[in-house]
Amino acid sequence: MPSVLEPITIPKRTDKKETRSKGQFAPTYYVVCWNDPVNLMVYVTHVFMKLFGWERQKAEKHMMEVHEKGKSVLVREGAEKAEFYVHQLQNYKLQATMEPAE
Amino acid sequence: MKMARQNKDGWQYHLNQREASCLRSLLQQFPITANVPARISRTDADPKTVEREKLLNESLAEHRKELKKQAANLLGAGKFKRGESGCLLTLNPEEREILLQILNDIRIGSWHVLGEPEELDPETSPQTVKDLVFYNLMNLAGYFEAAFLHAFSSDPYPGHD
Repeated sequence: MPSVLEPITIPKRTDKKETRSKGQFAPTYYVVCWNDPVNLMVYVTHVFMKLFGWERQKAEKHMMEVHEKGKSVLVREGAEKAEFYVHQLQNYKLQATMEPAE
Repeated sequence: MKMARQNKDGWQYHLNQREASCLRSLLQQFPITANVPARISRTDADPKTVEREKLLNESLAEHRKELKKQAANLLGAGKFKRGESGCLLTLNPEEREILLQILNDIRIGSWHVLGEPEELDPETSPQTVKDLVFYNLMNLAGYFEAAFLHAFSSDPYPGHD
């Protein structure tokens, strides 16, 4: 008697839906640079280029935003990376903080 | 001051004797202030913020200790080489960032001692001899920051050679 293979049942593919509520996501933070009257504009631009790998044009745009509006949001990151950037920016003596994004 | 040479390993700057003497003097004086407490957030009331701020201040203090060592290294033999018309300072990329951080620490520290004035006008800021000293330190550090950065970007830096 020939053996009969059991039919293989392939489980129906179901796309997982995100079930976590909004509050369960890891919090994110804005890394903010604040204006002061003492850091030189050319220095601030240099630091942004160095730390974020930005082109001069983008770095200058954020530097001007700091200068004219009092602050600029540089990046939005998870806690660990935001904290890292704040440490780096403050090593250069820029007034940088991390603020909750939500 | 101007950039004399640039290659993949770094830069060589030409400074006249007066500039070299001023820069060395600045490096010898670092740090000019004690650690100033830093804030990690202006709005976050999360309890973790206190711990994060503590870590930030510990990290900044450690970093300044390291900068102090690096300042001594920059003053060591071989970095400033006397030439016929001045001095040649050779920096690799890491050393250049360290030098910028030291100079800006001096600039910000001096500003802090001056009471963090909004107005940096020389006609109004220095009220005492002490103020004048820190005002000059702040400006001297700023002069070198700008000179190094302009020399790096090859932009002309008016009035200096």
